[in-house]
Parts: sequence; C-alpha cells; structure tokens
Amino acid sequence: MKLREVVIGANASIFYRFDFSKIRGVYYPRTEAEAKEAIAEARLKGLVVTVKGGGSGLSGACTGGNDERIVLSTLRMRRILGVNESEGYVDVEPGVTPDEINEFLAPYGLRFYVAPSSRDVATVGGILNTDGGGNDTWVNGTMRDNTIRARMVLYDGRTIEVTRNGVRSEDAALEQELNRLHMTIDDIASSHGTLGFVTELRLHVRPVSEEEVIGGVAHFDDAAELGQAIGRLVDAKSPIRYGEAIVMAHPDIRGDLRPPLLIMQFPEDDLEAIRELVDVRVLTDSEVEKMKDIRIKLPKRNPVEGVQLALFEGYGLHDTSLERMQEVVAQIDDILVRHGYVPFAKYGHAPSKWYVGNNEPTYGMVMHSREIRPPEQSPKEVLATILEIVDACEELGVTPKPEHKWPYSDMAKKTRLSQLREVLGQGFNNFIFCDDCAEALAKMV
Amino acid sequence: MSYDKCVRCGACVRICPLFTAREEEQFTPRAKTYLLQVMDLIEDDEEIQREFRRLLFQCTMCGRCEEVCSSDVDLLKIYHEQRAKALKSAPEEFEYLNALRKALANVKNIYGLDPEDRAVFWMDELIDDIPDIEDRVYEEGKTAEVMVFLGCLMSFRATQMDVVKSLFKSLERGGADYMVMGAQEFCCGHPLYLMGDDEGAEELRRHNKEVIEKAQAKTVITCCPGCLIQLKNYHNFEGVEVLHHTQYFDRILDEPPQLERDEEFAYHDPCELHRISNVKREPRSLMRKIGVKWREMELSCCGGGGLLRMTDPDLSDKIIEVRKQKEHMEGTTVLTCCPSCREQFMSAGIRTKDIVEMLDEAFEEQGRSTE
Repeated sequence: MKLREVVIGANASIFYRFDFSKIRGVYYPRTEAEAKEAIAEARLKGLVVTVKGGGSGLSGACTGGNDERIVLSTLRMRRILGVNESEGYVDVEPGVTPDEINEFLAPYGLRFYVAPSSRDVATVGGILNTDGGGNDTWVNGTMRDNTIRARMVLYDGRTIEVTRNGVRSEDAALEQELNRLHMTIDDIASSHGTLGFVTELRLHVRPVSEEEVIGGVAHFDDAAELGQAIGRLVDAKSPIRYGEAIVMAHPDIRGDLRPPLLIMQFPEDDLEAIRELVDVRVLTDSEVEKMKDIRIKLPKRNPVEGVQLALFEGYGLHDTSLERMQEVVAQIDDILVRHGYVPFAKYGHAPSKWYVGNNEPTYGMVMHSREIRPPEQSPKEVLATILEIVDACEELGVTPKPEHKWPYSDMAKKTRLSQLREVLGQGFNNFIFCDDCAEALAKMV
Repeated sequence: MSYDKCVRCGACVRICPLFTAREEEQFTPRAKTYLLQVMDLIEDDEEIQREFRRLLFQCTMCGRCEEVCSSDVDLLKIYHEQRAKALKSAPEEFEYLNALRKALANVKNIYGLDPEDRAVFWMDELIDDIPDIEDRVYEEGKTAEVMVFLGCLMSFRATQMDVVKSLFKSLERGGADYMVMGAQEFCCGHPLYLMGDDEGAEELRRHNKEVIEKAQAKTVITCCPGCLIQLKNYHNFEGVEVLHHTQYFDRILDEPPQLERDEEFAYHDPCELHRISNVKREPRSLMRKIGVKWREMELSCCGGGGLLRMTDPDLSDKIIEVRKQKEHMEGTTVLTCCPSCREQFMSAGIRTKDIVEMLDEAFEEQGRSTE
C-alpha cells in the first residue's frame, strides 16, 4: 500500500475511513488517452473505476464503497480548451473549477453561472455528476441547465458525446441504442460517476450581468414563517438573484445574525413587489457581504468545543414540507438530540431549484445541516441515526437533493441509471447499485 | 487535536504550492490532516509511516492553507508538532539534516562557517562607502539604539551582498544609531524551529537575547522574515521592538527621493512576512513613497520556505518554475524583501531586487543629480 492510495480517500463526506487495500491504483490522467489507458488497466484486472474530482461533495460517491477499485482523479485535467463568445460557450476539461473558468472568462466579459459555495474546489466534472448548483440556481439553474455537451469515456473504452437532445458516438450501433433510450445530459446529471468518465464539457456562458441589485434581510419568528415566506416567493416567481436562508445557527458561529432569516438580493425596482411577500429590510452592500461571509463559512466552521459534521445533507423542502418547515426541523432535531448530537446549523439556498430523479424541476429550499458530533459513537449508531432521518424525510415529504443524497435511494434515478448501464457497461462506481451500499458506506463513517 | 476539526472540504488543495507543482492529492494540507485522522488504520504499515514522515517535510510552511481554512485547524502548529515527532521517532531518515544541525550546534550558523566571518564577508565591500563600518560591529560594552540582526543568509551569501550594502547605506543616510551583531550573532533558530527542534532553537535564542539586551538596543531590525518570526515571537524581549527593515524605513522616511524607472516591476510578498507576521502595508508604502510602480503577484509561495530547499530541492525548483510561467515573470523585476525568496527567484533566472536596494538607488540618483 502506498501513501497516495490512502490519501485519495480524503473527501468532505462523513465517509472517509476506508479499507485502503481495496484501492488498487490511483491515476491522474492529463489527457483522454491517458484516462482510457487507466480504464483499460482496470478492465483487464476486473476492477471497478471510481472517479474523483475535488472531493468536496458530501454524498460519498467518490469513495467507491467497498469495491476493489482504481481511482481516476480529474485533478490534472484542468485545461480550458476554448471559448466561443458569439455562441456563448466554453469548452473545458473536467478538473477545472467554476472559479478558474470565471477567472479565464473575465477579460471576455463572460461568466459561467454555476456557483456552489465550494466553487474554488469543486470540479465541473464532479458538479455535473452531482448536478450541483449554488445560491443562484433559482435564476441560473443547476449544472445540467448550464451544460451543453459532455464527452465521456465508457468502461469498454468507447467514447460518447451527450447533449441535451441525445447521444453521438463513432459506434453507430451504440449511438442508436442510447438514442432509443433517449439518453441526454439529464442522465449524466446526478449520476454520481456511475456511467463513465467525463473528459470534456461544453458549458453555457453568458455576458456578465450589469444588473444593479440591492440586498435585504427578512427575519421570522420561527421556521414555519420562513418556510411559508419562501413558498410565497416561489409561487410569485420572485426575481431573487441571490437567496440564502439561515434556519438556525449555534451561538459559536452565528455572529450578529438572528435566525430564522432570509438574505436576498434583487433588482431595486422589485423591492415593493418583494415587500408584499416578505417583510424585507434593505441592507448596505457591506452588511450583505458580511452576512454572506458568515453564511458561506457555516459548513466549515467548528464549535468552540467539539467538532461538527454533516450527518445528512440537502433536505429538499418544497410544497407542503416547506409550509411545515417548523415541524420538519423539530422532528430532525428530535432525532439528532435523541442520538446525542447537538444541532449546529441549518441553512441553505432559498428560493432554490433542483431536480428529482425523474428529471422534474422542484422549487423550494435545499436545507443543509451540521451537527456537533457526540464524543464517542460507533459507525453503526451513526448509520442508525441517518436511517431514522431518511425515514422521517420520507414521512415529511422532504426530498433529499440528489447532489447530497444518502443512502442513494431515489428509485426513479437508480432505475434509469441501471437501464443505461445495461448498455454503457457496469464498471463505474458499482457499489451504488449493490444491496449493501448503505452498509458499505456506514463502515466508512 | 486540531486536525480532527478538518472537515476535508478541500479549500486548501488548489492554493497549496506543493499541489500546484505536483498535482497529486498527497501533497496537500488536506491529505496531511486526513492521514492523521485515519492514522489508526495505517499505523502498522511501516512503509506508509515512512512516506508520511517524508511528506511532512514536503511543505513550504507558507501558511496559505491555514489562512483559507474556515474550520480553525492550526495547520502550521500541526506540521510543527508532527515534524518534531517524525524527527524523534525516525532520526535515521533525516540524516541529511544532521550537517545543518551540527553546524548550528558548533558554529551557530547554517553554513558551518567560522562565526568570526559573519562580520567579515560584507565588511570589505562597505569600507569605501562607510569608512567606520568596523565601529558598527558589536563588542561587549558597546551600546546602540538599533541592533541589526543580519541573519545567516545575509551574513554569508555573496548573492545578498547588494542588499546588505543597500541596507547599511540606507541606515547611514537615516542617521540611525545602529550596530550589527557581527560574530556575536547566532542563527535565530528558525531552521531548527522548522524542524520542530524547539530546544535547539531556544538555546540559540537565549544567546541572541542576551547580546541584544547587553547592547541596550531599543529596536532590532532584520531583513529576513524567518528571523523576524523568531525575534518577535520567541525571544520574549521586554522593551525591545523588533521590526522588518521595510517597517523601519517606512517609519523613518516620510519623503524619500523618487526613483524613475521604466522597467516592469512586480511585488512578491514573502509568506513568512505578510502571512505569518502580518506585514503587508509597509513594503508597499515604502515602494509607493519612492515612486515605484508595480503589479501585484499572487499571494503564493516561492517554494523556498519550510526547509524545502533542503528537504526536497527538486520540488522547491518545480514550485518556482510553475509560478514563473503562470505569472509571466520573464522580463519583470520581482521586488521582494526576503533573502530566501530572492535566492529562490535568482535560482530560477528571475531578475529580483530587495526593496531596500530600490531605496538605496533612489538616494544614489538623488545624490548624482545634486552633484
């Protein structure tokens, strides 16, 4: 065992304690040809391929479960291949981050409008595979909405190009079969590296917005009021350009903030229309920036005593669960407290947009959660807590965002991916489809 | 332990100079804290333990990771402690550091040269400009307001001679009551500190503190950000202010002469100066005062810190080469204020100057124009 094989396990999820001996090789290809060589090596040895980007995601997909596997990192595939200003796209390799793309685009007056809070770390290949987005998905959509084309290497070494409308391949039979199945970018979005290795992406870019926006904050007595306010903003299709809700935050990290609250930015002309929906107080630019800074650091900061973790991520509150936010939060906290956790922070993009497994867009709030972990807890106990939360979500009508979903239980998406893997091959990230997926992940807690 | 607080978010990955050079995860700060977090799973693997100990010394200790970390992980402290542990548990793996340690133990400088030579190398060069320079060298019983702590690089390296000359000439022009420690200067202890050898460092510090106190100096000036860290944070002076030379000159010079130059300048912040000692304003203020126009460079390491030049010179070279290309340094004069950074730039064929050289040039030009 080599150090580089151990280190590839470093990722932001709670699943990080591996049986490292199952990692049979780590590859950092610079080109598609090198990636194909690595995949061929895996195929020859009968190993699974797990793809890893920045390792900032929380789903645990880049862990590879308990399979004997090779890990294929995109971190050396970080070239920006070209920009087409008139048609509004940029061609990039999968290991580039949104920040790097935007640094490159700045002189052109263009911007790539996908901005997760981990935009300095997360790679576009990873963001597409989790269908990530940022606090502006309400306006700009998720990664799939901003991806025009993705080129992908399959387990058998063939390549395909997937667009919003279908698939192209040098292999006519493969192309025909995948188009018969109506494979599109929607399928790669949220596929968690189960279909193939993305080697190139064509991403939609737009002129940098010159729109002037103002910032404001609305405070609420409880989470129910906050949820209902977000619901009204969703229903009215409010022109919120940036929206972040903080449901609760531990005194150690909340600074001057008094949650529940909603931080927003919107065109000044829309102030009155928004005020009809929520009681917003206009803020100065520096006040908004200060609030944004506190918010963006919530996932990373620690309590004065103890350590935080993300036990379960991306509670998708929409429709009735949004209206019943207080009840949802109370039930989650009840489970957490019963298992010895201290609720630390709950926050998230709102209003926001995400997709569920059947590719239907959904609107509401994607609530992230952080807890202070009990000093001693076995992986089994952690798993029990998570499963209880999963059941509660089911009951409460909370749809975990696929980006963060654990365990991977969106049956519609899973069924679709299985169908495609019949054609594309089963060599990538197999563990997600195995019955013992939850147990495999639990062992890594 | 503070490494437990790392949530492995990866914010430190791409900004790490080691990652920039190697593009593999194991060189990143996240990797190092991760290995500590899962140490119980790998502690029986001797090969991995050996690799990990080596990895700890493949770091420039630039502190950029700690700066971006939102999880309150004291990365520099962790590296410091873990390096000490590595050195203690497997000294045979660090035999290449023994020459340095012996030199510091025996002759109190990193080059193993005669301590008497500290004040000799540069003295001859200055005698024409400052005829009584010998009087400025400390001897028992002499006192001065300002003590100059040159540091090993500035004392012994011929490549630093121009900076040393500019420093002393500028001090003379400012009318400072100054002295230089000369043969009584011991290494500040920074190299030992970077190895985690606190005891060894403390021994050196004790002597320097005694000399500075005997000289009744109120101010200590150094050009070396590494020395600055040691003098400021670990010598426990009372009533003695420790300043970087850019801080000193920025303070005493309100309207220095203007320097007119057509060449393109860029300013490189030495990591140990701007990030660890928080000296950012004064170097810029001084450049502004003498009319220098420069472009800012990325706040990234030159690859010369953390003993990396000694522990992995290839990696150190690679870091500066990558940076040279990325920041288009060809044709630019990189201004800085750290002897170690200067050495690193020079080794990569990059034109470089210390800010005090620019200051000296400004005075020289003024002198010529008034003749």
